[in-house]
Amino acid sequence: MSDIEIGLWVTAGMMFLVVLGMRVAFAAGLAGFVGLVWLRWNGFDYDPARFGKAVEISVKIAGQVPHSKVSSQALSLIPTFILIGYLAYYARLTTALFEAAKRWIAWVPGGLAVSTVFATAGFAAVSGASVATAAVFARIGIPEMLAVGYNKRFAAGVVAAGGTLASLIPPSAILVIYAIIVEQDVGKLLLAGFIPGAFSAVVYAGLIVAIAMIFKSVGPPVTGFTWRERLVSLPPALPILAVVVIIIFFVYNPFGEAWGTPTEGGAVGAFIVFIMALLRGMRLRELLDALLETAKLTIMIFTIIWGVLIYVRFLGFADLPHAFADWISSLSAPPMLILICILLAYAVLGMFMDAIGMLLLTLPVVYPAVMALNGGEMVSAADSAFGMSGPMCAIWFGILVVKMAEFCLITPPIGLNCFVVAGVRDDLSVQDVFRGVIPFFIADAVTIALLVAFPAIVLWLPSLAG
Amino acid sequence: MLSDSSIISKLDRTLLPIERATAILSGLAAFSLMFLAAYSVAGRQLDRTFLAPFFDKIGLMDGPLPGYVDYIEALMPLIAILGVSYVQREGAHIRMDILVGRLQGRALWLFEFITVFCMLVLVVALVWGSWAHFDRSFDCARPLCSRDSSIDIGLPIWPSKLVVPVALSVLTARLLLQMAAYARAFVLGIKSPPAVPLIQSVAEQAAAEAEQLKEVGK
Amino acid sequence: AEAMATEWNVSVWGKRRAFTEHVEKLAELVSEKTNGEFTMNISYGGLSKNRENLDGISIGAFEMAQFCAGYHRDKNRVITVLELPFLGVSNLEEEVAVSSAVYNHPAAADEMAQWNAKLLMTSPMPQYNIVGTGEVRDELAEFEGMRVRATGGIGEAFKAVGAVPTSVTATEAYQAMESGVVDTVSFAQHAHLSFGTINRADWWTANLNPGTVNCPVVVNIDAYESLSDAEREALDSSVPEALDHYLANYGELLKKWDAVLEEKGVEKVEISDKVLAEFRSKAADPIREAWIKDMEAQGLPGQELYDLVQKTLADQRSGS
Ligand code: NA
Ligand code: NA
Repeated sequence: MSDIEIGLWVTAGMMFLVVLGMRVAFAAGLAGFVGLVWLRWNGFDYDPARFGKAVEISVKIAGQVPHSKVSSQALSLIPTFILIGYLAYYARLTTALFEAAKRWIAWVPGGLAVSTVFATAGFAAVSGASVATAAVFARIGIPEMLAVGYNKRFAAGVVAAGGTLASLIPPSAILVIYAIIVEQDVGKLLLAGFIPGAFSAVVYAGLIVAIAMIFKSVGPPVTGFTWRERLVSLPPALPILAVVVIIIFFVYNPFGEAWGTPTEGGAVGAFIVFIMALLRGMRLRELLDALLETAKLTIMIFTIIWGVLIYVRFLGFADLPHAFADWISSLSAPPMLILICILLAYAVLGMFMDAIGMLLLTLPVVYPAVMALNGGEMVSAADSAFGMSGPMCAIWFGILVVKMAEFCLITPPIGLNCFVVAGVRDDLSVQDVFRGVIPFFIADAVTIALLVAFPAIVLWLPSLAG
Repeated sequence: MLSDSSIISKLDRTLLPIERATAILSGLAAFSLMFLAAYSVAGRQLDRTFLAPFFDKIGLMDGPLPGYVDYIEALMPLIAILGVSYVQREGAHIRMDILVGRLQGRALWLFEFITVFCMLVLVVALVWGSWAHFDRSFDCARPLCSRDSSIDIGLPIWPSKLVVPVALSVLTARLLLQMAAYARAFVLGIKSPPAVPLIQSVAEQAAAEAEQLKEVGK
Repeated sequence: AEAMATEWNVSVWGKRRAFTEHVEKLAELVSEKTNGEFTMNISYGGLSKNRENLDGISIGAFEMAQFCAGYHRDKNRVITVLELPFLGVSNLEEEVAVSSAVYNHPAAADEMAQWNAKLLMTSPMPQYNIVGTGEVRDELAEFEGMRVRATGGIGEAFKAVGAVPTSVTATEAYQAMESGVVDTVSFAQHAHLSFGTINRADWWTANLNPGTVNCPVVVNIDAYESLSDAEREALDSSVPEALDHYLANYGELLKKWDAVLEEKGVEKVEISDKVLAEFRSKAADPIREAWIKDMEAQGLPGQELYDLVQKTLADQRSGS
């Protein structure tokens, strides 16, 4: 049997275990381990006397992976970003943001909904996790919207959709994971997330205003805030701005020398939010809870990372990604069509799978194929299929798949954000939220189409950083 | 998670404090990253100002922390792996539960038993493999027992490599316990067995998650 | 019976570049000489992390690999003699000569045998001169407080004159330079090119020659011994040819170097002999003394290894 065939069988086996309900991290790790044994024993021509040797070598290869892959400075961004989110919560930044957004922009049609979208976008700048963002704003935003007569479903849809912004706008754990898997510059990817994230927020806001103008009953404007009230609402929300500025300036300073590396920027941002939380009266008990929750989420993510990387190590020995990339680039269909098919496949897969698990399981094979489609990792913009250099294509594709993964947080049947919003509100069923979020599918589809058609939206900022 | 007077439940309650301690250690290590970075950045920036001679004198924040990257790399296994068993105990490792979510009673316990057994196979192999990885870097005939050192300041790597087999050994104990609990539930036909995470619907999970954030709220 | 085809997995990292050309050439030659019976499958990072290539050889994960001594000094104490600062190596041919002398020393072979590895050939690197931003630094006093990206013995040398060696990975070096995390970066020329540090630089030291890194290619001993005589002969005889190819290829790159400096507007800084002598006396002697003492304390022939390097250099120069 050829190595490629073994690679395909093992991959099928892994998918089977995942569907069976085995924890994703361990299904991937087991598949990788079994694959390593199979590959090696196949190399020994299935000599029974050498089976033990094949197992021993494979055990030792697999046993290196957890320590080896986890000990990375770049990956230290993940716990830091998760910690920032929990601390920001205890620093009461969410309510401060919503208050400020309300006083400044609620006068437009659909004003409170627009405020909620911008407040979630702002919170996204300190939170790496979409689901938590949706949970928090379901509690803050929905009651206010209902109080001024918003449609219940629509209000729920706004929060569920707004929550998805957290993974595009840095800090974003999922973008860091993408960068690590495909071995690209973390800083540039984080920079690349800003504009598409803000762009998504603007598209959401535009949609809300349009709906509110057509259907007057959906969301009336809220007026009557004095300039004084507006001004006093700003200081409590300022730390968000500080964190955004710090992270940008650590990665790329438009006025001169940048301040450091992204990893340092993340940690210093966390430090500032921590001080803020202390000033707002965070208790030791709350800090310990935040640390325990940070550990739980961090370990969950890292377990998938090393589990999947055992599988990736096996793929390396089986040379499967290479074969798949060759196959994809040998197809006669136009590269753009193939790329769109890949994105659609993510939309379908994402309906059933967790975003991080989905990206980790597929990227090792899909990413080299997309790069090959563009003309190779080092291709120049002039010779490429998508009109961008290899490294830029890596960034563009990263933002696209992360946006796809976010999209899947609001699609049935497992749109996690919708479940969270329904879970927080006793008066809303999951069906209500799914119905309310439908307009935002359209907004997301438009956003993704624009990101595909105009890659400059994604690539302008990172290209400034050299 | 239910608890009762059975031996399995008692064992669960014995293992839990150990697991919780490992998870808190992981969280504290993540917390320390923040201070390491703040110290290193402050040191580097202050070293460029007129205050440099002062900090030079007190020997603090005198330039960037030497070996900053080496320390972070040594901390990462602690942050990312040590509490792995606690996460399994809480049922927080993600999975697709479209299929198992529909099962009940014995069929469910059988499925759970099988998937936990598959996990155990991998984890036992990894305890062996990660121990071998540690063992290659450990030789007490050498200074600091070190046979593998970090790139910048030559820190011994074996302590950080040792974290992995230790964490996975705790997980092995947890998995054996869960297998026993599922087997017992299967044999006795128990509806809600103790010492295993019960499957929550997505909605229940969401409610639980929201509950955690409730106290701070406004 | 028909002889079975032999296929070796080879673990290197990064992308194909001047630094890996001898491995590529070796694979080509071996396959030619055995009519395709003995082939090598070169993987750039797919089989292991670079700092664990020696572990991979030790457990038999793959048959051949490249690594650098400075990545993990405690794994390969003996060959770190080749990374001592200011050894006096002035070109790649001399680097090949001193490396092969040390590789053939029983202490080096013994230490590698503990990893089930046999040293096959070096990946000769030129001296790790520095590029920097801002004002040219050509006086020792100007190194005080300078944040430099340098590892191993070179980092030690800069530390001895008051500089601050700062750890960033090769791939983060550009970013670190741009962000002012480091003021200067010490690399070989090909790395200044491939990691882009040259694009950020204002100046490059042409003759500081503080030292270099040593990156051997090793083979798994069991795999080597189970080769047929013809295969082993094909492998052994290809090593000099592969190294010649490497040197010729790197020579081309060095020829273009001056043109690159000019194109990028990078000033070529010549350090005076007086400053060099001062640097050496502050850095070279104490670091070497400390290294020898440390090795001897661990029962390794530190002095003998250092003398071997110096003797080989002298022989090489009188011979040519
Ligand atoms: Na975010
Ligand atoms: Na979904």
